[in-house]
Amino acid sequence: MNGWIGTTLRVDLSRGTIKRERTNKLVARDYIGARGMGVKIISDEVDPSADALGPDNKLVFAPGPFTGTFAPSAGRYNVITKSPLNGTIAGSNSGGVFGPELKFAGYDAVIIEGQAKKPVYLWIKNDLVEIRDASAMWGMTVADTTDALREQTDPDAKVACIGPAGENLSLIASIMNEMHRAAGRTGVGAVMGSKKLKAIAVIGTGEITVADPVAFKAAVMDARGKIQANPVGGVGLKAYGTDVLVNILNQSGALPVNNWQDAYSPVADKIGGESLAANQLVRPKGCFACIISCGRATKVTNPAYAGVGEGPEYESAWAFGVDSGIDNLDAIIKANYLCNEYGLDTISMGSTIACAMELYELGLLTKKDTDGLDLSFGNAEVMVELVRKTGVGEGFGKRLQEGSYRLADSVGRPDLSMTVKKQEMPAYDPRGVQGIGLNYATNNRGGCHVRGYTIAVEVLGQGAPTDPHATEGKAALDIVFQDLTSALDSSGSCLFATFGIGGAELAGMLSALTGVDYSLEEFMKAGARIWNLERLWNLKVGYTAADDTLPVRLLTEPIKTGPSKGRVNHLDQMLPEYYALRGWDAAGVPTPEKLAELAL
Amino acid sequence: MLIKYFATFRELTKENSLVLNAEPANIAELLELLSDRYGTPFRKAVFEDGELSSLMILLVNGRNVRITGGLATPVNPTDEVSVFPMVAGG
Repeated sequence: MNGWIGTTLRVDLSRGTIKRERTNKLVARDYIGARGMGVKIISDEVDPSADALGPDNKLVFAPGPFTGTFAPSAGRYNVITKSPLNGTIAGSNSGGVFGPELKFAGYDAVIIEGQAKKPVYLWIKNDLVEIRDASAMWGMTVADTTDALREQTDPDAKVACIGPAGENLSLIASIMNEMHRAAGRTGVGAVMGSKKLKAIAVIGTGEITVADPVAFKAAVMDARGKIQANPVGGVGLKAYGTDVLVNILNQSGALPVNNWQDAYSPVADKIGGESLAANQLVRPKGCFACIISCGRATKVTNPAYAGVGEGPEYESAWAFGVDSGIDNLDAIIKANYLCNEYGLDTISMGSTIACAMELYELGLLTKKDTDGLDLSFGNAEVMVELVRKTGVGEGFGKRLQEGSYRLADSVGRPDLSMTVKKQEMPAYDPRGVQGIGLNYATNNRGGCHVRGYTIAVEVLGQGAPTDPHATEGKAALDIVFQDLTSALDSSGSCLFATFGIGGAELAGMLSALTGVDYSLEEFMKAGARIWNLERLWNLKVGYTAADDTLPVRLLTEPIKTGPSKGRVNHLDQMLPEYYALRGWDAAGVPTPEKLAELAL
Repeated sequence: MLIKYFATFRELTKENSLVLNAEPANIAELLELLSDRYGTPFRKAVFEDGELSSLMILLVNGRNVRITGGLATPVNPTDEVSVFPMVAGG
């Protein structure tokens, strides 16, 4: 095979067995790799009713065909599993260099099955694969685990691991690689913890073969040129990182504030990318083969929050910032560092704290619940302490580690959890941006922005700009973004590459790399196939059309101040058209004709 | 009229904001006025072959001018205008 290695690794932690299997060529062709391949494996091999934290759930680590090549920003891998947070066929996507190293070691996917009896880690050095004892590392932070594993294996080993949060089965636990890159969403870290798999360390020296090297090089150079020529990919993200969005979303009236009670903050500028660049940025940092370098190596010298690390991204700065009433960027960065150390999803962690703060101000949580802490909005010191408590599973942190839905539900106010399908929504208010609301409501893993980033045209005005307040045309827009991202995630390239290239360039590079003739239509169809297969899983789990919705606050409670004052989201005007254009019936179920068209 | 600058436009103008005591009729006139004030680098950043530059995001009271008429978008003395370079994130 070209692009794909042709080998999949299967590790059964209950039996302690390791097998090599041939990667299914037809599955690779139709589902591309990474997210698509993982969704196909989980869908075929895991019973939807299985306990997500039990031995019957599986965990797939999968790079894509681009991963490890010199295609632009080709450093991604996906983790796919049944989510313990919400039961969806879920997964998360991370950059860095771990994914490429898996390819160099010779694997298209690593399937983890069963549960170990004691903590273990997986050591992969090309054909050498061993399940090793990790008892001494259980309880360690991500950085300490990474250091210890490099000492035990190889100083150049690439490490993906969980921190204490994953060990404690926190439903918002992430899997971290290279210490600071996160497969953050949907609680994948808890699945790893339930299997007592502390880490995977990998080093590889193999090569990825290319079907048509001349055509691939030409297609890659064309794509790289377009990304570098684009102001977003070429300059903007490198200079200011994703946190530059704080001011844009705020000035657009779509920056959620105080657990989404409002969508404009007069102090947002204090936590934006401009402030970060002026005060805490050490240097930009890129993943494997990246020509964008949106990552932020940062340093905080303020003694109260001092530290060195990476981040924050826009979403993290928002969640620990204005959504929690906080404008102290040093504290926000400290919270971000702690999430990376303990292995927590920054979006869900920050949003859960914001939810807890609203519940506290309403008197639904008191100091008896919060270990004596004052959870008023804006209390930066307490916000950081709550992250620590959640990370180690201490006191009130044990409630926070289950995410905002279960916390709010426990006091009778699930409506104050700003989630879709129990997963916290990212930092774009659907009352100010209609199409992103439809994307949240229909997203297969719950509240998610990256799998349908309509913000690019609704707010930033890229491509064919559309009115963020309009509902017309948003169903079709969402479907294009969702399907394109499904295919893109499966290819191993980064979402940010699309700030310069589109499906045609991606399909062209993929064809030259693999030798499979992907037209733009076939590439997009693969995306639709993956999306529909995820939908079928969710229906089997028990989700219905009633779950394709937004928190009632966004549908009925108008924004109070700022440019979007007075607006709510009009999901009801978009959802029926979305179902129709998807080829789904009125209950949101894919029709037999649609399934036949997609060979599902 | 309040003009707010962000990211690279702060470097370009050496200002975070400006209260403009003039009454341009539309975005084109506003950008001409501002180009006169800040000089050639600013003009190059906001105009591209006589059109609104694709390298910037311009909001009038939170509305992206690309959907409200581009350079012909009318402006009023009480408006708030936000000027960004083209950036994105996620």
